[in-house]
Amino acid sequence: MTARADIRLRSGNQMVVEGALRAGCRFFSGYPITPASEIYREMTQRLQARGDVAVGAPDEISALCYCIGASQRGVKALTATSGPGWALMIEAFQYALMTETPLVVALVQRLGPSTGGATQSAQGDVLLAECAVSGGYTVPVFAPSTPGECFALTVQAFNWAEALRTPVVLLSDKDVAMTYEAVDLGALPDVPVWTRQSPPFAPVGGPRKVTLTGSAHNKDGWLRKNDPETLDVLRQLEAKVAARAAELALLTEDLDAGAGTVVVSYGVTARAAREAVRAARAAGRRVSFVGLQTLFPVPADALRAAVGGARRVVVAEENLGGLYRRVLAGALPGVELCGVNKLGGMIRPAEILEAL
Amino acid sequence: MSFLAQRPMPYCRGCGHGLVARRLDEALGRLGLDPKRVVLTTDIGCVGLVDPLFPALHTVHTIHGRSTAVAAGAVLADALCAEGGLTNVVMLGDGGATIGLLHLTQAALMNVDLTVLLHNNMLYGMTGGQHSALTPEGFRTSTTLAGNWLPALDLEQVLRGCHGGFYARQLATDRELAGVIAEAIAYPGFALVEILELCTGFGVPLNALDGKALRAAAAAEGRALGVRIRRTDRHPYHALYRERFPVRAEAPPPAPAAPAGPFAHRLARPLGVVVAGSAGERVQTAAAVLAQAAVLSGLHCVQKNDYPVTVGSGFSLSEVKLAPAPILYTGIDAPDAVLLVSADGLREVRGRGDLDRQAPDGVVIVDESLAGELPPGRALAAPLRRALPADAAALGAVALLVARTGLLAREALLAAVDAIGGKDAGALRAAVETGAALGA
Repeated sequence: MTARADIRLRSGNQMVVEGALRAGCRFFSGYPITPASEIYREMTQRLQARGDVAVGAPDEISALCYCIGASQRGVKALTATSGPGWALMIEAFQYALMTETPLVVALVQRLGPSTGGATQSAQGDVLLAECAVSGGYTVPVFAPSTPGECFALTVQAFNWAEALRTPVVLLSDKDVAMTYEAVDLGALPDVPVWTRQSPPFAPVGGPRKVTLTGSAHNKDGWLRKNDPETLDVLRQLEAKVAARAAELALLTEDLDAGAGTVVVSYGVTARAAREAVRAARAAGRRVSFVGLQTLFPVPADALRAAVGGARRVVVAEENLGGLYRRVLAGALPGVELCGVNKLGGMIRPAEILEAL
Repeated sequence: MSFLAQRPMPYCRGCGHGLVARRLDEALGRLGLDPKRVVLTTDIGCVGLVDPLFPALHTVHTIHGRSTAVAAGAVLADALCAEGGLTNVVMLGDGGATIGLLHLTQAALMNVDLTVLLHNNMLYGMTGGQHSALTPEGFRTSTTLAGNWLPALDLEQVLRGCHGGFYARQLATDRELAGVIAEAIAYPGFALVEILELCTGFGVPLNALDGKALRAAAAAEGRALGVRIRRTDRHPYHALYRERFPVRAEAPPPAPAAPAGPFAHRLARPLGVVVAGSAGERVQTAAAVLAQAAVLSGLHCVQKNDYPVTVGSGFSLSEVKLAPAPILYTGIDAPDAVLLVSADGLREVRGRGDLDRQAPDGVVIVDESLAGELPPGRALAAPLRRALPADAAALGAVALLVARTGLLAREALLAAVDAIGGKDAGALRAAVETGAALGA
């Protein structure tokens, strides 16, 4: 730790706020829900202190719609919620994707289904986030595992929302969001901030007439049926994300080229997985670790490269049945995929070690 | 000047939607607005076909019922993060008003500076003439063939309940409609114009209505026409917001407490501490002091808090994990120290099984009142609640632990109190000193 370190206890939620402000977010709207409420509270304090907008919404649908309107006006916007609120937001989220409205939803997972457990951890919304959009369109999803990653990935989420003109999900979980950890605020990563450009974003109310619709539309934004151009527009919604999948792939790797087994994890579980890998190595095992910061688009090429010649991949995640393991089944052919899964509490390193 | 495209109206013959579009165009002309500073935000339904009729305006066609909320976001961002002065006109039907009622009431309550033109043809026209919350009693729709048996929602009363500043009820055929729309747009705040129309596709055939029916229907429900609410005592939301939250550079965060450290520590491996007590007894503050002291001693640490949803009753529990190296897994599987200062805390810890999982050399420190609850010799009992106020017992226990084990310097705890204690630093310092004395 350097002499000029500014080490403070900060939660994942608080570092999402730091990241949003670093990214240039000037508009927040939220509705209270554990474990995301701290983002609402702190964004309110921070934005109001500088005269930017933080507005309480009467429900999650309003919160996201306020953000959509603000972003269409040209202002970077954030909302934060958890599973039940996300369920309400899905229609408006699809609208944001269809109208190519950049914004970030911080989705802090808690135990489901339904109201589930407000203060119990889970990683159960992985596919609910990714598959929220009808038709198979890729929603960029980033998953931080530390307060530092909460900061960096929030900036990345805003950057990619701008670059791709699409809504992005920052998928954290209760144990990342609500755990306070020593963070050196003087040594936060210097993630460059991207703005709306190339071609310049045309906000509503600006000098260029804007036509937006959530209905299937042509390149000019007008509702059209039975028009090949409309289908081109739909294909472009996916192609623009797919074209930059390699750049979007963010991973933390701790590889042993001769490893027979690779442990893959994300969010809070990635921390236990990394500890398990260290313990296994201390016991003489050859094991690799891959922590996924980008869940979608699936960083398939980067993962295949990381897995290399290993025959076995263990995916540790806090849900039933292995939600992300199902996704990887298609991305890692010829590899034996195993899961370490758990409901109702963090997966312990010892539980992952058992599977190695 | 006219912003209306020279093209046929997309509506059924006799539908009032086309009339409203013409009156809106007249109103915009009268106000002399720059079309690039006007947004038309439209809802789902036949009303949403209006966008191409105004090719010079920004048009935002939204999802069902959400038009008002999307428009509100744009207006607030424009007024508070951009140059301001945007005109936003929302066009929705009675279906959109029903599904999106909360957005209307919230915009009225906040007094967001936008105008809503509610095309009330008393049913869902685009989907086959089903009844809505604005269908009058007795009115026949495809889902109330014998006549609606519920009265219609009275939006004037709703608006009054929301302290709405401007509300008008007009017929689509009213000559004065353009003037009323112009007044609504010019009104500095939320303005709702409810425009009564007949759906010629479903309303007319099912109810055998003629041109006078609308006026009669309104009269039958006791709904007067004209501008019904025109308040001058409400200020638009963005003006109130700016008054309270002026634009200014954010104050830098308070300077770090770094000069106080680093203090010496005697930690060679990760250490897990569980502190538990009752809500309101500052258990989390005690844990935060321990965590902050660890930071000031150059250690890595994590802190997690747990409490029931009621916040102010039952248990309060914190976990603090300290380590000389960066911490990966943040959980504490086998706590090295368990500090219990009340029966609520003991109950919670028993439920979690912390005591059963504790390492053989683990430490248990309890308030003396709990000593009889544990096997003899299992815990170190101290008069924490006797020597200290109830809301300082947890911090006393932390100081006792630190004094007994020598893990951290007492000065580190005191510096942590100074760093995070705020106005309570004095009382917290006393708790540290008392706890340390009990551990000596």
